[in-house]
Amino acid sequence: MSEELQPVEFRVISGGPLHAIGKFTIMDMNGKPIEIEKEAFLCRCGGSKNKPFCDGSHKTVGIKDF
Amino acid sequence: MEHTESGDREYSNGEITVFWRPGKCVHATTCYRELIEVFNPRKRPWVNMQGAPTERIIEIINKCPTDALTYKWVDDVKNQQPNLKNDKIARALEFANKPTVKPVTVQVMRDGPLVVQGSFKVYDANGKELKAMAMTSFCRCGASNNIPFCDGYHRKIGFKSED
Repeated sequence: MSEELQPVEFRVISGGPLHAIGKFTIMDMNGKPIEIEKEAFLCRCGGSKNKPFCDGSHKTVGIKDF
Repeated sequence: MEHTESGDREYSNGEITVFWRPGKCVHATTCYRELIEVFNPRKRPWVNMQGAPTERIIEIINKCPTDALTYKWVDDVKNQQPNLKNDKIARALEFANKPTVKPVTVQVMRDGPLVVQGSFKVYDANGKELKAMAMTSFCRCGASNNIPFCDGYHRKIGFKSED
């Protein structure tokens, strides 16, 4: 069965990461692809030790949201 | 007359005029990573038309993923030549004519944002869908004044991503 490609959704979580839902590819800074099958939580606060992914650091770093 | 927004700038070297529309910039950083001699965001004016030959400036402008950087020949006859149409226009047309879903890539920029291309939607924290686009960049440093998007502020705070 062929899976139809769906647009990826990027949902801002208030005070938290960016919730990316869908199938997509992350290219890291060395050009290495990371295939995301379902979802990923992407750091928005700059404080994660596991960038580009969220590690919960926003709870101590804090994020301003408008 | 072409619509211009405040903040738009023009730079010329007598041969070509470069148009800078900051409102369209997604901070992909292609211009200054490839040609810092001309495009240096730390300098004012940030575009130095004497920094490289015209052909090299055009080459980099054509790599800009949006219409933030465009150019025209001062000699208008050259603007009529069809082979001078830059590939950005072709890419934009291709996108408009094919409403197919494009695979999404998220590029992690060193000390900068996430640059996203493909078919995607963006929702704010209240679930409201934000403006549709084919490419954008998301803030990773937390300091943007246009959250969730990048506004280039990571340079001012000296964001180090170390990832």
